[in-house]
Amino acid sequence: MKVALFSSRPQFGYWLALAWLALLAGAGLLAPLLPLPYAAANADLQHIATPPEWSAPSAHYLGTDSLGRDVLAGLLAGARRLLVLSLPAVVLATVAGALAGAAAGFWGNRGLRLPVAVAAAALAALWWGLELPLSSMPYWLLGIAIILSLVSWRLYRLAARWLSFALPLDSLVLGIVTLLGAVPRLILLLVLVAGPTPTQAQFLGVLILLAWPDAARLVRGQMLRVRVQPFVEAARASGLHAGRIWWRHALPHACRPLLAFAPLSLASLIALESALAFLGIGQGPDIVSWGSILASMRQDPTTWWVAAGPGVALLATLLALQAVAKARQLEVNN
Amino acid sequence: MLRWLIARLGRAAAAAWLIASLVFIASRLLPGSPEQQALAEAGDLSRPAAGVLSAANQAQNRLALRRRLGLELPLFYVTRSPGPPGRWQWHGTANQYHAWVVALLHGDWGHSYRDGQPVLALLRQALVYSLPLAGAAAGLAVGLALALALYLAQEPGGLLRQVVFTLLSALQVMPLFLLALGLLLLLANPDFINILPAAGQGPADATRWQLAGYWAARAALPLLSLVLAVLPELTLPLVALLRYETRAGYATTARAKGLTAMQILRRHALPNAVLPLLTTLADLLPTLAAGVVVVEVLFALPGNGRLLAEAAAAHDYPLVVGGVLLTAGARLLGLVLADVLYFLLDPRLRPAA
Amino acid sequence: MRYYWLGSLFALLVSACSTPAAKQASTPIHIRWARDPETLDPLALSNPSAIDAINLLHLALLQVDFQHNKYAPALAQDFPGVRYEGDSLTLLDYQLREAATWDNGEPVLATDVDFTLKLMHCPGLPNENSRAQYGFIRQVRIDPANPRRFTLVCRSRSAETASISGDFPVLPEAALDPAHTLRSLLLATLQDWPLSRSPAPAVAAVVRRYQQANLARQPHNLPGCGPYRLASWQTNQELHFQRKAHWWADKLPAAPIVLQARPQELVFSVLPDDAAAALALRRHDIDVYPQVPARIFQQLQASQAARQELVFYTHSSYDILTVGFNTRRAALRDRRTRQALSRLFDPVRLLAATQLGQGTRTVGLLPPSSSFYNDSLPLPAYAPAEALALLQQAGWQRGADGHWRQPGLATPLAVVLRYRAEEATFATTGLQFKSAAAQLGIPVTLLPAEGSVTTAALQAGDFDLYIRLIKGSPFGLNFATILHSEAIGSGNFTGFGRPDTDRLLVAISTEGNLARKRQLLRRFQAIIQEEMPVLPLFFLPYRLAATRQLQHIVPSGLKPGYAMTALAWPAAVPPASHP
Repeated sequence: MKVALFSSRPQFGYWLALAWLALLAGAGLLAPLLPLPYAAANADLQHIATPPEWSAPSAHYLGTDSLGRDVLAGLLAGARRLLVLSLPAVVLATVAGALAGAAAGFWGNRGLRLPVAVAAAALAALWWGLELPLSSMPYWLLGIAIILSLVSWRLYRLAARWLSFALPLDSLVLGIVTLLGAVPRLILLLVLVAGPTPTQAQFLGVLILLAWPDAARLVRGQMLRVRVQPFVEAARASGLHAGRIWWRHALPHACRPLLAFAPLSLASLIALESALAFLGIGQGPDIVSWGSILASMRQDPTTWWVAAGPGVALLATLLALQAVAKARQLEVNN
Repeated sequence: MLRWLIARLGRAAAAAWLIASLVFIASRLLPGSPEQQALAEAGDLSRPAAGVLSAANQAQNRLALRRRLGLELPLFYVTRSPGPPGRWQWHGTANQYHAWVVALLHGDWGHSYRDGQPVLALLRQALVYSLPLAGAAAGLAVGLALALALYLAQEPGGLLRQVVFTLLSALQVMPLFLLALGLLLLLANPDFINILPAAGQGPADATRWQLAGYWAARAALPLLSLVLAVLPELTLPLVALLRYETRAGYATTARAKGLTAMQILRRHALPNAVLPLLTTLADLLPTLAAGVVVVEVLFALPGNGRLLAEAAAAHDYPLVVGGVLLTAGARLLGLVLADVLYFLLDPRLRPAA
Repeated sequence: MRYYWLGSLFALLVSACSTPAAKQASTPIHIRWARDPETLDPLALSNPSAIDAINLLHLALLQVDFQHNKYAPALAQDFPGVRYEGDSLTLLDYQLREAATWDNGEPVLATDVDFTLKLMHCPGLPNENSRAQYGFIRQVRIDPANPRRFTLVCRSRSAETASISGDFPVLPEAALDPAHTLRSLLLATLQDWPLSRSPAPAVAAVVRRYQQANLARQPHNLPGCGPYRLASWQTNQELHFQRKAHWWADKLPAAPIVLQARPQELVFSVLPDDAAAALALRRHDIDVYPQVPARIFQQLQASQAARQELVFYTHSSYDILTVGFNTRRAALRDRRTRQALSRLFDPVRLLAATQLGQGTRTVGLLPPSSSFYNDSLPLPAYAPAEALALLQQAGWQRGADGHWRQPGLATPLAVVLRYRAEEATFATTGLQFKSAAAQLGIPVTLLPAEGSVTTAALQAGDFDLYIRLIKGSPFGLNFATILHSEAIGSGNFTGFGRPDTDRLLVAISTEGNLARKRQLLRRFQAIIQEEMPVLPLFFLPYRLAATRQLQHIVPSGLKPGYAMTALAWPAAVPPASHP
C-alpha cells in the first residue's frame, strides 16, 4: 500500500489563492479610486439595515448595516485597512511572539547570563525615567556600569562567572503572557489607550501587544523540543556562540508551526479589531474595517448580510493564506 | 524534580502577586473613578431637587464616598505629587496597597464597592457556573480536536476532508458573538427550532433529576458555542504539525517497518506534534474558566467573565484585582502543569528552573 | 448531529414538566431586566433595577403614578400643605395614613421619616446619592399632638419642592434604633457634621447595626411597608418577589393606583443581551420586555407570529438626545459658530432612521406636551445654507486650501465630537454630522469611547462637541444643574453661563406663579436656541412589548416605562381552557 500522507497536489488551489490575494491587494490599493455610489463612512439615513438590493443602479448592492453604512463600500475600505493595518499587525505580532517565545524556550530561566553592567545601566535609566531624587545616584550607577563593562571586557573569563547574572527570561515572558491573559480586556484597553486618542501607529502597537502571546506560546513549546535535538547539541559542542546557535539553527526549526498558525491569527486579529470597534477604541465609526462591520452586527443580529460580506472575504483570505503557507511548507521540506 | 517543582510554584506565586499588584495600581490610575460610577450622573435633569449641584457640592460627596471605600489614603508607599515639579513622597504603611496586602495575608480579599460583599464569595458563586462549563468545554474540545486532527492529517485529498477543513476555517473566521448568536437563533427560536432553553431557571417544582436535566439542556448551547469557538485554533495547527511530523525521518523508518498511516500518526507523530501545543492546552481550562463574556451575556449565565467584565466597567477595583489574582494564579499553575507534562512525555525536555 | 439529539433529549425531559399552563392570578409575571440590581440597599439608589426593586419593598410618602406621570400620595394621606418661611425656606406639612403599618402591625410614624432622613447623613453608609438628592430637607418638625403629623423644613423655594420632597423609601426606626438614640440629634446637626470629625456614639452604633444587617444582599433584614418581599435572588440571574399575604393597604376602602399591587409574584429575569431577551419573550420565558431597542421592536412587529402573541406600546419619554458645545473653546466662543454647526444636524432624518420616527422633536429642553413649551420658536432642522451664512457672519473665511479660518485664530475650524461608544444612535448621529460638515469643508473627528472615559473627558472640558442623553423628568424644571455657571466642573459640561442666564435659571426653579413661570421658561427656551450651548435633537421613545394575555399594562414615559404593580393576568380563566 502506498502511503501518501501528504503529496503535492496540483497547483490549482495555490494559484487561486494567489489570485485572491492579488485581488484583495488591488481592491485595497484602489479603494479610494473606485466609482462607488456610496462612501464607506457615510450613513444613509433612509436605508438603515436594508438587505442587499440590485434593482436600482445606485442601490446598496450588499445592503447596509445598522448605522446605515454601505456594506460594499465598507468591504473595499476594509480591504485597504487590512493591507495597511491588520496584515502588518499579524506579521509583526507573529515575529515578536516568535522571538520572545523562542528566546524563552531556548535559554529558560538560567541560560541567558548578562553582564552586571547591563543591570547597573538599566537601573540608572529607571532612575532617570522615574525622576527619583538624589540626582547624582544615576551617574554613580552609570559609572559603575562603564567600569564593570570595561573590566568584563578585559577579564572575559572572570566576567562570565562573577560579573554576570541570569536573566529569568522564561518566567518573564510567561509572566507577561499571563498578565495579558488574566487582566480583563476592558481594564487592559483602558490602561493602554488612556489619555489622548491613539494614533494609527499606537493602535498598531496595541494590536500587536494583544496578539503576540499566542505565537509566543506555540514557539516556546516547539523550542523546548528543538533545543535538545542532536543538531543543536552538536552545534553547542562545537563551541558556537549561543546566540548564533539560537538564531541560525534553533529558531528556524522552532518557527515551523508558525506557517500554519499565522494565517489563523489573522482571523483572531480581525475578531480583536471587531471587539475594539465595539468599544470605540482606536477607531470611530467613520473608519471602516472588516472588524468594525462585523461589530455593527451586535446592534442588530438579524442582519445576516452585514456579516456575509466581510465573513466570506475573510474566509477566502484565510483559506488563501493557508494554501500559500502549505505550499511554502512543502517547498521548505523538499 | 521536587525541588524544581517547588521553585516553579514559588515563582508562579510571585508572578501572580506581581501581576495583581500591577493591576491594583494601574486600575486606580484609570480615567473615570469608582465614585463617578457610584454617584448619580451629573448633568442630568431628573433630580430637580438637587438644586445647583455645584462643583464644590459634588466634591464633598465624592470625598464622603472615597472615605467610605477607603480610597482617601495614598495609593502606594511612595507617590509622586501631581503638577510639573513632581516630587516623590513617602507615606509609610498608611496606604491602600499596604492595607490590601495585609488583608490578603489574613485571607481577606476585600469587599466589592458596589454591594459590599466579600470578593471571595462573589468569585466562588460565579465559579460554580463557570468551572463545570469550562471543564466540559475544554475536555470536549480537546477530544474533538485530537480526533479531527488525526482524521484531517491523513490524506490531503478527499472532498469530505476539504469540506471539514474549510468548515473549521469558517469557524475560525466567525467572531464568537456571531457564532453564539447564530446558535441561539437557530436552536432556541420559536420561529425555527425551539428545543433548548437559553434563559431563566428550572421549573420551580422540579425534582432534583429534572433540575439536573434542565441545567444540562441549558448548558448545551453555551457548551456548543465554546467548543466550536476553540476547536479550529486547536485543530488546525495540530494538523499542520502532524503533517510535518509524518515527513520526519522516524516516520519514514516506521513506514518502512510496515506500519499503516494511522498507526504512524497515532503512535509516532501525535506525541511529538502535541508537544508545542501543550502550553496552549494547559492554558485552555483557566482561560475558559475565567469566563467568556460574550457567551455568558448571550445565554444569561452568571459566570466569572460577566462578573469581572461588569466589575471592570463599574471600576469595582477589589473585585477586579481579586479576579485577576485568581485567574493569573490558575493560568500560571496551568503553565507549571504543562512543563511537568513536557518532562513526563520526554525527560530530555526538562525546562530549566 | 450528536448535540442535536442530546439537546432534544434534554428538552423532552424539561418540557415534560413545564407544559405551558393556563395563566392564573397566582402565576408569576416574568419581567426582563438588563442588569442585576447589585445592591438592594434602600439608601444607595445606584441603578434603575435597584430603584424598581426597592419600590416594591418600601413605600415613600409620595410615589409616581405611572398612569398620569405625576406624583401621588402613598404613605402620606395627601399632598403636603405648602407654607413659606423667610425668603429661602419652604415648609411642607405632611400627614401619614392612619392605616399605614409595618409588617408587625406597628404604625408608620413621623419619627420613622425623621430617622430615614437622618440615616441619609450618617457617615460610612452608602447614602451619597440620597444625600445629594434630599440634602435640601433641613429639619423634621414633628407635631407633638399627633405622631403622624410632621413638617419638613426645606432649604429651597422651588415651586416643585412639595412634589419631589417625598420620594424616598421610609425605613422603620424600631428595627435599627430601638432605643431611639438618634432622636436627640437634629437632622441639621448631622448634615453639618464635618467629615473630619468622628461621628457621635449614637450615630456610630446605628451605622454598625445598619452595616451588620447587610441590606445590600439581604433586604429582608429590614422589612419595609411595601407590598412585596424578596423571596429569592440568584445574582445575575433572577429575583423573585412575593406579595405579602396581609398588606396594610389591602384594607383601604379605595386604594389609589400607587397603593395597588395586583401581581401575586413578580420574577425579574436578568438578561443582558437584547436579542436574547427578544427570543426569551417569544419563548414565553419572560412576559414583559420594557425599553426595547428600536431595531428589535421593529423586527418583533414585523413577525406575523410575534404579532399574534404580543402587544406593543410606545410612549414618549423624558430622555433627550442632546448635542453640547464647548463654549470655552476659542473657535466655538462665537454663538453664531455654534448655531452654524447646529444647523448641520438633521433631527428629522435621524429620528426616522434611529427611532423608527417614534420620538418627539423639540425646540428646547422641554417636551412639546409641557404647558411651558415655547411653540413660537422654530424646530431645529438641517439647513446647510443657513450654516454657511452663519459661519461667514461669525467671521470665518474659507481659504484656498478649503479650510475655514477666523482672523486671530491660529488653527482652522475643525471639530472633535465625543460620545459614548456602544450606542448606535450616537454613532449614526455622528456619521450624519460628519458627512454634513464635510460638505462645507469642516473636518470632524469622531471620538467614541467607553462611558467612564467619555464622562471624564467631558468633565475636564476635553471636547468640542458631545452627543449624550440627558435624562429628564416631568416633575421639576431645574436646568441649573446643566447650564448654571456654578455647575461648571460638575454637571455643566458646556462651560456656558452668564450672570443674567444664571439669574434666569434660579428664577425658573423658584417661581411659583404659573403665568410668570411660563414667561420665564419661554424666554429660557429662546435663549437656548440663541446661545446654543446645547442642541436638544429629540425626546426618545420608550418601547414596551408584552405577552398579549397580560392585562392592565400601563405604559409610561417614566422609568421603568410601565407600572409594575398594576400588571395582572386575566381574572377569570374560562374552565374550557383547562384540559
